[in-house]
Amino acid sequence: MKKYLILQKNIQDKMREKATTLYLGPQHPGITGNMMVRLKVEGDTIVKATTEVGYLHRAFEKLQEKRNWLQSFTLLCRFCVPEPDPVEESYARAVELLEGREVPERAKYIRVLMLELARLGSYMLWYGGQNGSLGLYTMGQWSVGDRNYILDLFEELTGGRIYHMYIWPGGVRRDFPEGFEDKVLRTMDYLEKRVKDYDDLMFDNAIFQKRTQGVGIIPKEKAVEWGVVGPVLRGCGIRSDIRIDDPYEVYDKLDFEVPTAEGGDIWARALVRRQEVRQSIKIIRQVIEKIPSGDYYNPIPNPQKWTLPKGDAYARTEAVRGEVGIFIASDGGTKPRRVHFRGAAYVHGITLLENLLVGENVADVSAIMNSLGTCPPEIER
Amino acid sequence: MDELKTKIIERIKANFQDATENNSFNYNRLDFNVNKTTVPSILFYLKDEMGFKHLSHITCVDWLEEGELELIFIVWSPVDKIKVFVRTRLDRENPVMDNIDMIWRQAHTYEREFREMFGIQFTGLEAPQDFLLEDWDGPPPMRRDFHTEEYASETFFERPGREDAGDVREEIIKRSGEEIPDFAKKYSR
Amino acid sequence: MSFFDLKGTVKPLTALKQFGKKPHTISYPKESKEAADRYRGFHYNDIEECIGCGNCSTICQNAAIDMIHIEGVEGKKGDSGLRPRIDHGRCCWCALCVEVCPTGSLSLTKDYLYVSDDPDSFLWTPGVDNPEGKDKISFYTTNEISLNDFKRIPMPELEGMERVKSFAEVVLGYNEEQARAEASRCISCGLCTEACPEHMHIPEYINAIATGNDADAVRIIYDNNPLPEMCGKVCTRRCEDVCAIAVRGEPIAIRWLKRYATETALTSEITREIVNPEIKEANGKSVGIIGAGPSGLTAGYYLALRGYDVTIYEANAKAGGATMYGIPKYRFPIDSLDKQIEYIQSIGVKIHFNTKVGKDISFKEIYDKFDVVFMGVGFPDAWSLGVDGEDAKGSMQAFRFLHMVNSGEKVDIGDKVVVVGGGNVAIDAARVSRRLGAEVTILYRRRVEDMPADWEEIEGAEDEGVHIVPQGIPIKVHKDEKGHVKSVEYLKAEMVPDERGGRPKPVAIEGSNTIIEATSVMAAIGQMGDYSFLGKEFEDKIKIERGRFVVNDKQQTTDPKVFAGGDAVNRTADAISAIADGFKACKAIDEMLSKDKN
Repeated sequence: MKKYLILQKNIQDKMREKATTLYLGPQHPGITGNMMVRLKVEGDTIVKATTEVGYLHRAFEKLQEKRNWLQSFTLLCRFCVPEPDPVEESYARAVELLEGREVPERAKYIRVLMLELARLGSYMLWYGGQNGSLGLYTMGQWSVGDRNYILDLFEELTGGRIYHMYIWPGGVRRDFPEGFEDKVLRTMDYLEKRVKDYDDLMFDNAIFQKRTQGVGIIPKEKAVEWGVVGPVLRGCGIRSDIRIDDPYEVYDKLDFEVPTAEGGDIWARALVRRQEVRQSIKIIRQVIEKIPSGDYYNPIPNPQKWTLPKGDAYARTEAVRGEVGIFIASDGGTKPRRVHFRGAAYVHGITLLENLLVGENVADVSAIMNSLGTCPPEIER
Repeated sequence: MDELKTKIIERIKANFQDATENNSFNYNRLDFNVNKTTVPSILFYLKDEMGFKHLSHITCVDWLEEGELELIFIVWSPVDKIKVFVRTRLDRENPVMDNIDMIWRQAHTYEREFREMFGIQFTGLEAPQDFLLEDWDGPPPMRRDFHTEEYASETFFERPGREDAGDVREEIIKRSGEEIPDFAKKYSR
Repeated sequence: MSFFDLKGTVKPLTALKQFGKKPHTISYPKESKEAADRYRGFHYNDIEECIGCGNCSTICQNAAIDMIHIEGVEGKKGDSGLRPRIDHGRCCWCALCVEVCPTGSLSLTKDYLYVSDDPDSFLWTPGVDNPEGKDKISFYTTNEISLNDFKRIPMPELEGMERVKSFAEVVLGYNEEQARAEASRCISCGLCTEACPEHMHIPEYINAIATGNDADAVRIIYDNNPLPEMCGKVCTRRCEDVCAIAVRGEPIAIRWLKRYATETALTSEITREIVNPEIKEANGKSVGIIGAGPSGLTAGYYLALRGYDVTIYEANAKAGGATMYGIPKYRFPIDSLDKQIEYIQSIGVKIHFNTKVGKDISFKEIYDKFDVVFMGVGFPDAWSLGVDGEDAKGSMQAFRFLHMVNSGEKVDIGDKVVVVGGGNVAIDAARVSRRLGAEVTILYRRRVEDMPADWEEIEGAEDEGVHIVPQGIPIKVHKDEKGHVKSVEYLKAEMVPDERGGRPKPVAIEGSNTIIEATSVMAAIGQMGDYSFLGKEFEDKIKIERGRFVVNDKQQTTDPKVFAGGDAVNRTADAISAIADGFKACKAIDEMLSKDKN
């Protein structure tokens, strides 16, 4: 017996020495996009994680410096594909802040509607991604199918399904088409029914619970300092939401709650998102009810000769991934001096992820990444 | 809000002599210009003493004509609900800055990016050289004097089939015989 | 939590209730979805409506739009003859091209499906390659949602009844802010430059104004127009007729912007300082110019810059020709003209005033003295009405009337004036008469919309209380016992469409005689030349046809040493055409004389 124990210890020591390097990504569907996480594992426990990015760098910010203030706006939606609207909205608002341009009230309501629809659409994708990473594929098929109804609304309103290019400086591009409000409300009724089905399939599912509870814990006291934002921060039990803290558009005129959950693990983040879907539906209903009539657009001058005063502005929006912001600097010309995008994933996907993965199981990496809202195109731009 | 801003300005100016404020914004924003050597201490002070716990953004702007790079740190106080911009200017020829990733770990990523894209050296930054780019030995590409269009035309080729594209202005000049003087050409479309 | 969680295991099985439900994403047999009414699919371009301004190609941030020649589309004034072709491999369907299209010809359709294994087949000329797209247009602009600014910045003017009290300038001019805003509307397509006889660099100077570089604007303007302030005030501005923005809105106020730019240079010295022209060393050649009108001054100015010794002979006491004596001072103040003449003189152009060729100096003398002669003699005489009683006292030529008023002479017109004609001279005479305190009626053969005068001038006249009687053909001037004009009799006319497709013709209605009381009658139905100054010897050498000099495309008359320009040559008879003639002649003279040298 003693001999056996010595043997076992020897084997364990050997294994510890033989830490293996695992390359997760850059091209694996379980990961959130084209990025790589280099994992140093002992057994199946991670001892060190390093994020490697650079597979999706498209130099959008550099390109925007070569385009005029309006042309730049068509690039914005490509920063993060699942949820392009908050970026457009941030840019539009940054330009408006710098120029002092007024936005009609109706446009603000339409923007809120867009943002919340985008939030719903993005959460539908998250349902799929989060469950897919745990092997629960049915959920993804349902939610992505239901997301199509939201995309249909986008198509009606903006003319595009994924890339809307709809929120631009001064307001929005087009007004509601006829009968649009009813369609939105019908879709909301449908989704409200569906989220109950999602609960049965996902939140009450023993597999989901066991794989998510206690995994990827972010300590509450460190969360703000580490740059955690959005639903991830609220999953640490901290009530923080730009829509409430630094209100923009007409969020201060709408009644909604900011759900939080204690624990800081994947499960807590999932619970927050589960509630937020319901809050978004509530906001959309209010927008349809309260939206005033009037202009939807304060026309900008001829885009070729449109100059912005010298200065800079930073506007941020609460997106599904968390704080999304655009910094713009103008030298008084027709083109931006600098556009700089701040995405939540820039923090979540690199420093936070590297921190969080240590000590976790290899099998949970993509679940953790999905729960943080990692979005490689957003990191690299 | 004005009261709060005045209070912040007073506290900052009492502790940092070189800070000059810009309080011209009619929303929750306040700017401070400081020397680059003051940046770490002012950020520490803002974070630990004044509740600006959240680092919202760090950005860098290239003022090519002035020969300077501007670094802007945007911090947010969840308690006072106000943004503070801490701005500093670096010499473009020799941009060196103190590393601040011990204050906020996420600054590490920004610093790696600025080192690569703007060529700013952060003393004490420990990270692999490459971030987004791979085997890049050209000039820092986000600087204003790096021209993407030139780079692209040198590196890649145009797909044939679009050579017949005309220019409206030139087409009209061809027909009318107009002669645009050279100094006016920069105003053409 | 126990290892076996009963609820957590059973609950997901409720998914089975979805079994047998109709799938909501895929339909069998497969059919493509009908796109939404606002879908941004493939482009469609109405080739007829499109004017080839290329604004779509400029806004495209993917450089996906090429402007190409296509079969069946010829360029003309106001149409570059190019049409957009789109590389669908680059297009991102942002539809900014649609939003900036000034004509509204470009739109997006509901079509979104196209599959091909030939990558080159993704280059399409919308409207040509997909004519069926016309019925599927989904994303388009209206005047309200276009990104073009169709509303002109209104020009501040004196109020109508305030104006008639004096000869003060009516148009007050843009201030800096207004000029920048107006200049910013321009899309810099350059279609206007083709319509301008002188081909001024319009997009360039407008862009210079828009970006706040007024000095550069002035320099660009003086590149080929030495009288821009005059043009800025009274030009017939054909450029604005073909403005791309004018297709759906009000054209860019090109004339007012030029006026703004030139007025930033307050004096001739400042103008000289800003323009800072390069004057070439004297080359020993000399050019004599007859008439200090726009064409003569232009030729003189640019020849002087090229080192020629230029002398201008002017019959009147002041330079400017028809712009000095034919245009009322409320449109073109004398200071403004003086400033420009002073500037031209400062370059080295010599002007002999009160020197009428044929009387004070013979044409032969000039011909012999100079290496080349340029004639910008204009039309000093006017057509008469050709009706009974025209010899009455108080019956005069509107052109003479304006000349006298502009030279400061007193003219007695009484208190009731009838002006016959519908051109700018008629309107000018009418508005001047209003300022002299008379009631004014304009009698015109055709309808108001047929008037060749500037619409702004017509509106201005109406604002000032000028009464316009359209479709009236004068037949007789009645005299009182002292031989003075008493009234004018005219017949009403009806418009008969021209069978050959010309504009409708007025035909008098028999028995519709109407009489208007009048103290004076002014004829403003056209001017003509007087070429007696040439003398016998040259009348044969220099060919004249239908009242105008015959010139080749270099403004050269049948005598190779003599060039001509202005009203006495071209049919458009406006200042900018005269300037264009002068500029063209200058280039030809320079070419000819520098060839001699070698």
